[in-house]
Amino acid sequence: MISIDGIGWVNRNEYGCVRQGRRLQYKDSTRFNALLRKRIFSCPFEKFGRLDNISKMTCYAVALALKDAGIRYSRNRKQDIGIIGTNASGSLQSDIRYFMDYLECGRKLSRGNLFIYTLPSSPLGEAAIHFGLQGPLLYVTSTGNSLPSVMAMASDMILLDETSAMLAGMAEEEEAVYFFLMKKSDFRENCLSDVARVSAIVSKSVRFSQMIEGFDLLKEGYPE
Amino acid sequence: MEIGRISLPKVKAVVVSCGMITPYGWGIDACWNGILSGKTAISRLNRFKTETFQSDYAATVDGLEYHQKDSLVMQMLKSLFHGTSVSIPQDAKLILATTKGEIDFLERKILKGTGDNSSCNLTSLLKKVSALTGVQGEGMIISAACASSAAAVARAAAMIRSKNSDCVLVVACDSVTEFVFSGFSSLMALDKFAARPFDKDRNGLSLGEAAAFALIMSESRAKDEKKQRLGEIAGWGLSDDANHMTGPSRDGDGVILAIKKALKAAGIGESEVSFIAAHGTGTVYNDAMEMKAFRAVFRDAKVPVYSIKGGIGHTMGATGLIEMIIALRALKEKKIPPTVNLKEADEDARGWVSPQERPVDNNKKVLITNAGFSGINTALILC
Repeated sequence: MISIDGIGWVNRNEYGCVRQGRRLQYKDSTRFNALLRKRIFSCPFEKFGRLDNISKMTCYAVALALKDAGIRYSRNRKQDIGIIGTNASGSLQSDIRYFMDYLECGRKLSRGNLFIYTLPSSPLGEAAIHFGLQGPLLYVTSTGNSLPSVMAMASDMILLDETSAMLAGMAEEEEAVYFFLMKKSDFRENCLSDVARVSAIVSKSVRFSQMIEGFDLLKEGYPE
Repeated sequence: MEIGRISLPKVKAVVVSCGMITPYGWGIDACWNGILSGKTAISRLNRFKTETFQSDYAATVDGLEYHQKDSLVMQMLKSLFHGTSVSIPQDAKLILATTKGEIDFLERKILKGTGDNSSCNLTSLLKKVSALTGVQGEGMIISAACASSAAAVARAAAMIRSKNSDCVLVVACDSVTEFVFSGFSSLMALDKFAARPFDKDRNGLSLGEAAAFALIMSESRAKDEKKQRLGEIAGWGLSDDANHMTGPSRDGDGVILAIKKALKAAGIGESEVSFIAAHGTGTVYNDAMEMKAFRAVFRDAKVPVYSIKGGIGHTMGATGLIEMIIALRALKEKKIPPTVNLKEADEDARGWVSPQERPVDNNKKVLITNAGFSGINTALILC
């Protein structure tokens, strides 16, 4: 049985940890761009400012999902946890940013620190480095809502013993959500939900906010 | 890091047909013969201006038109599938592996104002490949940097082993564009001339382009449909260095972890591996890291290692699938391909790599390793 032990999410207005029931709005005093990273990351994130937007959103959501699941992490203590992510836009904004910058330099020079974010898997790589994730790392997408497929693939990877645990989720420029998945003998024990229940909410949700509201149902527990 | 119990094989995933178009030309024969000839397909690049770049060498496919109606990868894929006699089952699940897909469409839009930005979206390419191959499902894209197609093969085998599907079509493609070439040049990753994997004087990679496919079935379906069995994907392992975005971990820990996972998944020991199809890009750090990992896993066994990237360049998202198909051919022909452009092996690779072809021993199991930006590692075991 694959359980979901934590869910972390973030958008331009607020962020939250579903299991812990935390939902914080930035309000006027804390705008998204001034988001206090020490409230989200449990160890300093070096050179966070150089990350592209999707990488930042990915890392925020992963940090919140790990915190929600009670998983301690450190860049220097590697763990066999994998990460699989998706989105609809791929790396399009970073692609445009890189190529426009290259053109502005007269097609003579390009910047490697922009080029690395032109791979849709790079935000996952940034997360792997900061959180010490040494399991499988994949970007997956399809024509429809890819998030349920990504969750199913992460579950299969754990069931096939390819890795001990997985982070699965999505990140766009302005919103991100990540789930922490683990194998459990009894999913009622020390977990938020089973994958099927969360996947059903994800599949039904047309908008991000609708999905976040749907997660409130998880706190009601399982019917006896 | 301790590796957990890995499920032993229950349902076997076998490759029943495959094809490729590479800088050596159309078909597996062209690539296989090109590599065995020891001649490189890497040459001067004339697709776009290269004066300001680190190199003006790459391995490209003849006859492709840049910034035309079809993207470079679609031109390769159309040639690949229109030329093949293989029939693709409609119920095959499609996995498309690529890093940048139709990025030449974004170049065209920005440089010439033709088309729109969304035309380079990976899902747009997925729809085209789905229509081209005739599969009915929507399929999915897997992108894991330069390990994309090896990761896609691993997922295909996993889908079959876990009985989520009994037939998966893996398609892989990437092309040499100004976008990609300028990026690799900015990272100082290119050899000025043709890449020389595992050579003591190696100095970087050469970019290449290719498209390939492999139809992978459960062994039982392959038998029922009387399909030829080209080889089995016996095991796979995926890992990440969690160390650096563009450089491999110096100690090779990530690759070692992937190899150990793959060996366990295949249920074999390291002594059963006949030869290794290495990622072998020709960069100083990649090749050194791989040799460190091979030495850690295989100790003094000096298992034969080769890289085909001195022949066709680094075909990015397509590289893992191309290398899997060539490895299957090597098993069939009982010949370990030479490492093209190898003059004098680096000290740590001496006795492992060779510029000549070598015979395959009786074990008949091959390890294929790939790696990519973000520290991604894959290992496949074929037999």
